[in-house]
Amino acid sequence: MQIQFNQQPYQLVSPTTLATFLASQQQLRAGIAVAINQQVIPRSRWDIQPLKDGDTIQLFMAIAGG
Amino acid sequence: MYYQIAGHTFTSRLLTGTGKFQSASVMQQSLLASDTELVTMALRRVDLVAQQDEILPVLTALGVKLLPNTSGARTAEEAVFVAELAREALQTNWLKLEIHPDPRYLLPDPIETLKAAELLVAKGFVVLPYCGADPVLCKRLEEAGCAAVMPLGAPIGSNQGLQTRDFLRIIIEQSRVPVIVDAGIGAPSHAAEALELGASAVLVNTAIASAADPIAMAKAFKLACEAGALAHYAGLATRQQQAVASSPLTAFLESL
Repeated sequence: MQIQFNQQPYQLVSPTTLATFLASQQQLRAGIAVAINQQVIPRSRWDIQPLKDGDTIQLFMAIAGG
Repeated sequence: MYYQIAGHTFTSRLLTGTGKFQSASVMQQSLLASDTELVTMALRRVDLVAQQDEILPVLTALGVKLLPNTSGARTAEEAVFVAELAREALQTNWLKLEIHPDPRYLLPDPIETLKAAELLVAKGFVVLPYCGADPVLCKRLEEAGCAAVMPLGAPIGSNQGLQTRDFLRIIIEQSRVPVIVDAGIGAPSHAAEALELGASAVLVNTAIASAADPIAMAKAFKLACEAGALAHYAGLATRQQQAVASSPLTAFLESL
């Protein structure tokens, strides 16, 4: 199963949830938000959100700004 | 002397941005010196290769309220997407709405801003829109349900002060929501002037972060905001075209 994560291709060998995937990438922390196929996924659903073949995942973080 | 936005009480009249500081430590000390209670942040896609500084823990430790912005959005649709990301990332429904498609002057797009404001208010956001100093637009944004309006003094980061002064007066006179002068404020005297005019608050970023000593400048802005708000409360004396003597010296001279 192939997904795109912030414009990088990733191969997933077994079914996984968004939360598990983010943890495996050391990205599970405060101040982040995620969209799958341009739909924002609420934090409360990360534990149950399955990743599907062809999904485009975008990870955002809060940064300094005016 | 406090003021409220969407039922939330603030005593500091100074909102600060968090961009352009040399380090998280200088930012933290500057925000402390400024006494700010509401600070802006932006949202960007994570660079999986380069390490990015995390400033959120620093801001959380300071206990300030966060105001994420939608910078980078060029249309109402993009702004709504960024707003929904910001709400998830920072767990707040407060939002500084900014849509500026032109990178040269970073001037806000009034049509897309109003459209986005209507959509975001309907989605339950507390919307503070960055906008041109256009009294009609500010009224329309207020009618759309925005919690405040944030007209510009001059282009973002330009440090030119209140170039829009005469229009800010009209906006302040007409507005029933707080007016926060955003962008272009380059010196504490500009901030004091905005508050003397009756603005509820000002938002400052570049003028503090790019100063030779940001921490000292943050304190200077804090004091200027206090002075400006107090002067507005006290009521400024009326401007006169001609001199008006401070003491009745003229009668004494006439008797000689």
